[in-house]
Amino acid sequence: MDLTARSASHTYTEEYREWGGGHGIGSALFWNLCQEKTVSGFDPRNVITIVSNPLAGTLTPCTGRCEVQGIGPQAYPVEWFTRSSFGGRFAAQLKYAGWDGIVIEGRAASPVWVNVINDKVTFEDARSLWGLDTRKTQEEIWRRVTGRRHDDWQEAGLGYTTQRPAVLCIGPAGERLSRIAVLLHDGANAAGQGGFGGVFGAKNLKAISVRGTGGVSVADPEGLVESWLWHRSNFQYNVDAPKHESPRPNFPNYWVVNYQVGGVAYLSTTEPCRPHACQSCPTACRRRSASGLASESKCMSMMWPRFSVRSCEEGGRIVGPIKESTADMEDLAALARGRHRLSDDVQLSGLNAYELLAADTYLMNLHNAGVLGPHKAIDCGLPFERWDSAECKHDLIRMIAYREGIGDALAEGLPRAAEKWGRYQQDTNNGLLEHPNWGYWWHYDPRVEVEWSYGSILGERDINEHGGINLAVHNMPLMAKAGRIEPIVSAERVAEILATKVLPYEGDPFMFDYSEGPTGIYSANRAKTIAWHRHYTRFWTEAMGNCALLWPSFINTNAPDLLGATPQGEVRFLNAVTGEGLSFVDGMEKGRRIWNLDRAIWVLQGRHRDMEVFSGYVYSVPVSRPHPLPVYEDGEWRFSDNIGRRLNKIRFEEWKTKYFELEGWESASGWPTRDTLEKLSLGKIADELERAGRLGMDSRT
Amino acid sequence: MKEDAIRLPLSEGYLVADRKKCAGCIACMLACSLVHEGVFNPSLSRIQIVQNTWEPFPNDVQIGLCRQCVCPDCVDVCPTDALHIDTAMGNVRRVDESLCTGCGLCVDACPFIPSRIVRKTEVGVVVKCDLCADAPFWNQEGGPHGKQACVEVCPMRALTLVEGLPEQEGDSAYEVNLRNKHWAWLGYPTD
Repeated sequence: MDLTARSASHTYTEEYREWGGGHGIGSALFWNLCQEKTVSGFDPRNVITIVSNPLAGTLTPCTGRCEVQGIGPQAYPVEWFTRSSFGGRFAAQLKYAGWDGIVIEGRAASPVWVNVINDKVTFEDARSLWGLDTRKTQEEIWRRVTGRRHDDWQEAGLGYTTQRPAVLCIGPAGERLSRIAVLLHDGANAAGQGGFGGVFGAKNLKAISVRGTGGVSVADPEGLVESWLWHRSNFQYNVDAPKHESPRPNFPNYWVVNYQVGGVAYLSTTEPCRPHACQSCPTACRRRSASGLASESKCMSMMWPRFSVRSCEEGGRIVGPIKESTADMEDLAALARGRHRLSDDVQLSGLNAYELLAADTYLMNLHNAGVLGPHKAIDCGLPFERWDSAECKHDLIRMIAYREGIGDALAEGLPRAAEKWGRYQQDTNNGLLEHPNWGYWWHYDPRVEVEWSYGSILGERDINEHGGINLAVHNMPLMAKAGRIEPIVSAERVAEILATKVLPYEGDPFMFDYSEGPTGIYSANRAKTIAWHRHYTRFWTEAMGNCALLWPSFINTNAPDLLGATPQGEVRFLNAVTGEGLSFVDGMEKGRRIWNLDRAIWVLQGRHRDMEVFSGYVYSVPVSRPHPLPVYEDGEWRFSDNIGRRLNKIRFEEWKTKYFELEGWESASGWPTRDTLEKLSLGKIADELERAGRLGMDSRT
Repeated sequence: MKEDAIRLPLSEGYLVADRKKCAGCIACMLACSLVHEGVFNPSLSRIQIVQNTWEPFPNDVQIGLCRQCVCPDCVDVCPTDALHIDTAMGNVRRVDESLCTGCGLCVDACPFIPSRIVRKTEVGVVVKCDLCADAPFWNQEGGPHGKQACVEVCPMRALTLVEGLPEQEGDSAYEVNLRNKHWAWLGYPTD
C-alpha cells in the first residue's frame, strides 16, 4: 500500500517462499523495500510489514498470530528495526481475503483507513474516525463495511460471511505519535512493543479492515484433523475431565504447567465470564465477562490494575483500600469493576500496558526520591496521595494518550523522558529506572534469567517469548512458590526434559544451568541456549505465527510423561498444512537464516558489540526479589532464588565472544561474516554489508 | 404442526451446544468447512459462531446450529428436492448438490438468523449441516449415529449430539448446559 499515492499493488508470496512466512517474509520485504534503514520510525520512508503465515486460518493449535515489522520508534537510543505481533482473527481474515501480507509505504496527506474485502483494496477517508478510541473506531468501521445487522449473512464481494471485519487500528495515543502506542485488533489483541501505533499515526493511517470469503487449502486435510485430535487428546486441557487439575480452585497461574483455560486473564471471578480464545486456539487464555468490561484483556493490561489499584469510585462512594481476604463481596466486585474499567482505558487509548506499568513504577520511584511531584524538580500534578486509586491511573493514561502535562514527556517513552529530565544515566545505573537494554522495561530479572536478557540485548527489544524455556525454568517454580506447593518438576528434571527437545543442540542439560559456575550463564553451553532460542523463535514462532505464550511446548502435565509437544508438534502441523516435509532442524536452520538477516539490518543501522551493554544497574545492583531458576552447584541441581546476584560485566563480554563464535560472527564487532552469510545463501547481504564497511572478517582472514 | 409433518421422519440425531462454554475459537467452523469442502473457509461452515467483542457475556457469542427441524421449511420450499430427508442416513436433512439450482428459496425459508443454509457461491449451490453424513475429508463414520467433526474438535467440549428430539418450542433444548464441577473449579459459572 502506497499511502502517499493512495494506491495498492501486489507481489506474489512465491517470491518470498524461502523465508517461510511471518517474520521471515517481513524481514526480507523490509530489506528489499526500505531504502533508508536508518530513518526514524516516524519517517514516511519507514516501511511496515504485516504478514501472516502458512498456519493462519487453519485448524492448528495456538497459532494464527500476525507479525508486524519495521523501524520502531520505541527503542532507545537507536530506533531499531523491530517486530511485534498480535493474535485474534486478523491474520486468518487476511488469508481468507486471499492475501498473505500487507506492506505499508509512504504517508497519507490526510487520515485514511484501508478497506480490504477479498481482492478489493480501497483507501477511505478517516477524518471522521480520527480522535475515536479503538472500540468506537472498530464499531464504526464495522458499520461502514457491513451496513446492516451483524448476526446474519452479509454479502462481501462475491461471497457471504457472518463474521465481522477484522480491524487493526490505533487510538488517540497513536494519533499523537506516542512512541509507546500500540496497534489494536478487536478487544485487546495488541501489537504492543515497538511503538507501531505511533508509526501508523505518523503515516496518517487510522485503521486497516480486512474481510474475506475465500478459503485456505492445505496439503493433507485428513492428516491435519487427525493431528488436531492427537494434540487434543495428548496435550490440551480437558475441561470436563482434566488429567491434571490445579490443586485449588481459581488458581489461574497453574496454566503454566497444565494449560488450563483462561489462565492469563487474571479476571476477577466476582462476575460470570467465559474463557475466550484467539481463532483456533484451545488454550483460550483470556476471558469475556458479564459486565462487558476488560473484554479479552489479559496479562499486563489486567495485572497492572490488579496489583496497583487498591481503591476506586463507584456510584458516588469510594471503595477501598480493602483487605481482599476479608472484604465483603459487594466491595470486592466494585473494586474489580474499577480495575477492569482501567484495563479498558488501556485498550481504548491504544497504549502499551507494559509501558504504563513501567511509568507507574518509575514515577513513584522518583516521587519517593523527592524529585517528582507538585512544584518539585520534575513538576507533576498527579495526586500521589491517591496513587493507588483507579481514578489516578485513569488520569495517568489520559495524560499520556493526549500528551497533557507530564504525559507529553511520558508519551516519548521513559528513556527519552528520563533523558529530558537529565536523569537517564543515573537512574539506569542505580536501578530507579529498570531498563536493562534498548529502553525497554525489564520483564524477567536480567541479572539472572539470561535466556531472556541475552536474547533481548542481542536483538532489539524485550523478547517477550514465554513459551518453553521461561515457563519451565522460572514461571513453573515461581507459581509453585506463590501457591505454596512443591514444583511440579524438579530442577534436574526440567534441565533433562528441555535438553531432549532443543534440537539440534539436544543432549546438554547444562544449557539450562543458571548458576555462575563453569556450565552456567557465562558458558559455551549458554551460547547454545541463546542460539537455539533465537533461531527457534525467528522461524517456528515468528515466521510460522505460533503463539509465543505456548510454543515451544516443553513441559505439559496433560501428557502422561509430562513431555510437551515440541519438537514433533510443530512439524506435524506445518507439514499437514504445506506438504513440504520440513524437519524441525530444517526449520531451525531457516530461523538461523532469518536471525542473520535481522542482524545484518541492525548492523546497517549501526549495531556493534560495544553497544550491546546492559544498563549499569544490571552489573551493580544485586537481585533483591526472589527469582527462582534451576542452578547446578556443588554437583546438584536445585531451584535457587538468586538473591544477591549481579551480572558480571567482564564475564558477559567474554560470553558474547563465545556466542559470536558459535554464530559465525566477527568477535570484535559482532558483525556477520561473509563465510557465514554465504553458507546461508545470503551473499547479497554480505555484499551490502561490505559496501557499508560493516562486514565481519572471517576468523581465518 | 402441519398435517403432512406428522408423516415426516424425525432426524435420529441433533446437535446441541452450550453457548456459555464456547470460547469463540471457531475450531468447529474450521473443521466443518475442512471435512466437507477440503478447505478452511468460515463462509462454507455449516455451523456459524457469531461474536461481538464488546457484548456482555453470554450474549457475546451466538451459535448457529441446524436444528434438524421436525417440519423443515427448507425441505418444504425446495423446488427440485435437492434439500431432502435422507432416510438412508438417519433422516438427516441434507442437500443433494447435484440437484441444487442455487435458487436460494431455502436460505430465506430457514426461520433462524443467520440462515442455517450456506451459499456455496463459487459453484452456485447451497449446503447445510448433515451431521457429517457426507464429509469426504473426515475419516470417521459420520451421520446421526456417527461422529461430527465440530463435536470432536471443540476444545471446550461445548457441542454434543443427542438422539432424542429436543423440545421445539424456544431455544432451551438446543442451548444446553454441558458444564460440570471442573468448569467451576476454574472459576466459571455452571448455571
